[in-house]
Order: sequence, then structure tokens, then C-alpha cells
Amino acid sequence: MKTTAVHSHRLCAHCGSERAPGDVLTGLADRAMFADRLAASLSRRRGRSRRRPAAAEQPGGLAVLLIDLDRFKAVNDTLGHAAGDALLRAVAKRLRGALRAEDIAARLGGDEFAVLLAPPTTAESTAAIAERLVEMLSRPYLIDGGVATVGASVGAALCPGGGEVEAELLLRRADMAMYQAKNDGRGRYRLFEPAMQERAEARRKLEADLRAALALGQFELHYQPQINLATHRLTGFEALLRWRHPLRGMVPADSFIALAEELHLLPTIGEWVVRTACTDAIGWPGAPTVAVNVAAQQFQNGWLVPSIAAALQASGLPAARLELEVTESALLHNGSVAIEQLMALKALGVTISLDDFGTGYSSLTQLRSFAFDRVKIDRSFASDPAVARAVAALGASLGMRTTAEGVETAEQLNRLRAEGCTDAQGFLLSRPVPAADVVGVIDRFAIDGGVPGAPIPNFHEKSGTRKRERAA
Amino acid sequence: MKKTPPLVRLVYVSRNRLSGDAATMEREVANILAVSRRNNVRAGVTGALLFNADCFAQTLEGRRDAVEAVFERIQCDPRHSDTVVLQLEQAVPAFADWSMAYGGRLDDERARFDRLSNDADQATRGAAADSVLALLRSVVSRALPALG
Repeated sequence: MKTTAVHSHRLCAHCGSERAPGDVLTGLADRAMFADRLAASLSRRRGRSRRRPAAAEQPGGLAVLLIDLDRFKAVNDTLGHAAGDALLRAVAKRLRGALRAEDIAARLGGDEFAVLLAPPTTAESTAAIAERLVEMLSRPYLIDGGVATVGASVGAALCPGGGEVEAELLLRRADMAMYQAKNDGRGRYRLFEPAMQERAEARRKLEADLRAALALGQFELHYQPQINLATHRLTGFEALLRWRHPLRGMVPADSFIALAEELHLLPTIGEWVVRTACTDAIGWPGAPTVAVNVAAQQFQNGWLVPSIAAALQASGLPAARLELEVTESALLHNGSVAIEQLMALKALGVTISLDDFGTGYSSLTQLRSFAFDRVKIDRSFASDPAVARAVAALGASLGMRTTAEGVETAEQLNRLRAEGCTDAQGFLLSRPVPAADVVGVIDRFAIDGGVPGAPIPNFHEKSGTRKRERAA
Repeated sequence: MKKTPPLVRLVYVSRNRLSGDAATMEREVANILAVSRRNNVRAGVTGALLFNADCFAQTLEGRRDAVEAVFERIQCDPRHSDTVVLQLEQAVPAFADWSMAYGGRLDDERARFDRLSNDADQATRGAAADSVLALLRSVVSRALPALG
């Protein structure tokens, strides 16, 4: 039977005249044509399976492959747009050359391609062609006297023989497989599996919940005491962000901070953290300091300095009682922009510390790029006296205090003190406590002096979840 | 007036995806050679090819646009994979008398390039290109010119 291509001639959007359909640059199908052909293939199959309902093993599986080029932007940027276009044409040719005549290849736009593998197609044949496409498209291209190399990530979804899947769902599944391929490191293919859908849905829900969390008042700050190792006195608290969700319960920072960063929520959350910490701290007896983590993103919109100044003013907290903790990577990503803002903050009277030292580049340049008041040794070195000694010595000679993080045992505490650390923080001294319990902790430390080796009551709470405590 | 594209030389290696015993492989390579000689004469491209069980090494010479077209056609061929371009530069043809000189099968340590990747640095690739070229020259000069 000859099928009539109903949509083979569409009107040109610009001139209103008929034009040849498809992607002008590559000669492949375009997005609309691809959707038409996919829908037509699926409905043809449906018609067949209705006519032969008894046929148990129907041969006509088909598959959709979505293909994204990796590093295409770099080619465009370095070799120019004409070379980029030439590369897209070569990709289209390689793609077409690797397929059967009855398969459809399309360029959906930019560097996104799609393939419809016509029946008969199985999971095995789909995997084989997807693997071949990844390899073939990743071979070098000679363009305008230069060599260009891109990679390809492929997501594939199959509509098995006898099965029924709507076109839109098939495309969405291929897209989820593509997300997986990219997440697994690009330059590879993934076939859709139901688990991907579950993961995608779980992620979408988490995203929606996280976007709403601030407005719904689900964030809270917990505070972990910091101790002066010479006097055994409590000197301050670090504010740590917690998310209490009505159904999820307490969500560990590990499971939402990275997502909040991806969704670019950290500047807003960070502002709330500073405001709340200042307001909480104003009522604390003995005027201990409060330390707040500042995320890399907070340096990027120019709000950081004014929002902190506003938080201090609104709460009435003396600037000297507020400490800001920045990581090396936050400085690295923002360069002089970050340093300028830190200088402005220091001018306000705020204290600045370098957080998680030892985990990133740990560069001396970084340590000297700004007059930090404090360097905090990452918790992973709590049992490493050599590192503690080196950093404490460095800190002392640069006029910085040195805080050991993640102290869990009395032996660690004694050793860290012996190696020259000036302050400590960790489960041995106290786990982070809700804002309402801070006054109780202050009282307790005032009474027993927080003498290490004679652990503070309450510290022996089971610390099964010694995860990284990070705040925004 | 349109400028004539410059003469270039391309050197690349790729992974051999032919299967079968030595005789089958030789036959398949003979087919590849026959087709490439026909195409190269038409395109005005010259060069040399050798292979072993692991890889192909090939040089293509000629006008830049012609070399690019021939190379692109070869990249669509599933009988090899994982192409690494070692050299692409303006050069006087070294195999001008050969539509595609055949170095034959060389199961030799000198012809092991399977550890090269597209991420290799310029110096590594340059050195590899030189050694592939030297290898091609040495085997071609020993072969019978009647093949061309």
C-alpha cells in the first residue's frame, strides 16, 4: 500500500509559500516531520494489532533514539558557526549512513538529533545501533583544515512488538534515558528502564518540594557549639541548615544542598539563613558568635553584602558576633568578585573564616588571598595530627585561629590541642541542637566548662548518622 | 577568482573491526583497497595503508577539500572504529605515485597505536604521526610499485 504523505508540504512560516519539508541545514527530517512519522508508525501498528488480536508475538517493535552532541558548543566557539554547521551536516550524513532506508533521522534543533528505528526493532538491535552511533559520531571530523571532535549521548526507548506506547510517552522515555546517559558521564547510550521514570518522578517531586520549602517555613537552623581549646569555654555556634518536610521527615543536607544549588535557590535560602541566625543569636546569653555558611552562588548576584548588612541592622546583632564561612571552591569560582565582597563584609566588622580547608586545592595562594580570621580544618583530618599541626602552624603565622572540625573522641581532641589547633567543634562536644535548645547548651558549658575527656551530658547520643553537616 | 585549496597530508590510526582468520582479513582489506583506489583516483587523492590485527594506519594526501571528503566517507565505515587523527598539515605528497599504496599486514611492535586516543596531547600525536609515516614509507618502498 502506498501511503500518502499528508504533511509533506507545509507552508513556509515566513513567506507563506510551500517549501520542501525538513531541516534545511542537514536535509534530515525536522521536529514536526519526526513527530508526524512517529505518530503515523505507532498508529499503523495499532491498526494492525486490532486486526490480529490473537497474534501473541507480534514482530513490529520500534524505537526512538534521542542524540545530543557533547562539546558541540566548543566547536562553534573555537572554529566558528560555519564550521559548526559543517559539522552538523557531517553528523547528519554519518547518522543517515548508519541507518536502514526505512528508519527516520531528524534534527530536532541545535545539536539535537533523533532517530526512529522502524519495525522490526528489538532491545538488542536498538542497543547495537545506539552503541554504533555513539562511536561513529565521536570519530574526528575534518572541517576547514581543522580537526573537530565531539561526543554523542544517546537515550533510547522501545515500543515492543505488540505493545502500545503513545508517541509523547515514548519521547519522554527516550529523554529520561538521555538524562541518565548524560548523568553517567556522556559519550554513551542508555535504554529506558522503568526505574528511570521512578527516579525522574522522585526528583521532580523533590524539586517541587524544595522550591516550596522556604515559603512553607520548612527550613530550620540547628546550632553546633564551638569551643576554645585553651580556655575550654564555649565561644560560638555554627548555624546548620535543616529541612523538616511533613512527609519526608528531616531531610539530610547532603540530599538537598546540591539540588538547591542546581535550582539556584541558594542565594534566597542563604539570605534567610543569615537573617534567622542573627535574630536567634541576639537572645543568647554570654554573647557567643554565630557562624553562617556562604555558598558560591551568593557571591554572584551582588546581594550578599547588602543583605548581610540588612540582617545585622534588623536584628541589632553586633557585626563582631557574626562569622561567615566560605569554602575555597566558592572563592575559586568567583575570584576577585568574591574577595571584594569579603573585604566589604570585613569592613562591616564581620569575621571571615575559610571553611573545609584540606578538601579542595588547599592552596597557600588561596589562604593568602584574603586576611581570613580563621581557618577550619575539614573533618576528614580530625584523626590526622600531621595535617592539623601543619595547618595550625600556618594559621598561627598568618594570624588566624584554627578550628578542628568533626571532633568525635577525647583522644582526637587532646591530640588536636597538642598540635596547636585553637578551637574545636564536633560530636564529642555536642551535636547540632535546635534553636530552642541553644540556651540550655550554653548553661551546661558554663557549669562544667566543657572539659574534654569528661564529655558533656547528652553527647553520648547515638551518632549513627555522622554525615557531613553542611549548611547553605 | 577562487583560490585552490592547499595540499595537505592526513595521518590517522583506527581500531580494526574486521573479524575472521588472517586469510579472510586479507581478502577484506583487498576489497577495501580496491574501492579506495578507485575512489582516490577520481578524487585526486594519494596515500598509503597498512593494518594489523588491532588497527589500521593510513595517510591521505591531496587537495584539502578532497582529503576531507575521502576521510569523511571512511568515517562512515563500520569495519573500523575509534579513529585518532595524528596529523593534518600542509605537505608535499610523499606517496604521489600511489592511489593507495599498500603496506600489508604488519604484526609488529612498531605498528601498535591502540593506546592512542583523541585526548592525547599534540607532542604525543606528532611523534606517533612521524613514526606511522616512517613505517608507511619503509614498507611501501619495499613493496612492488605495480600495485599502484
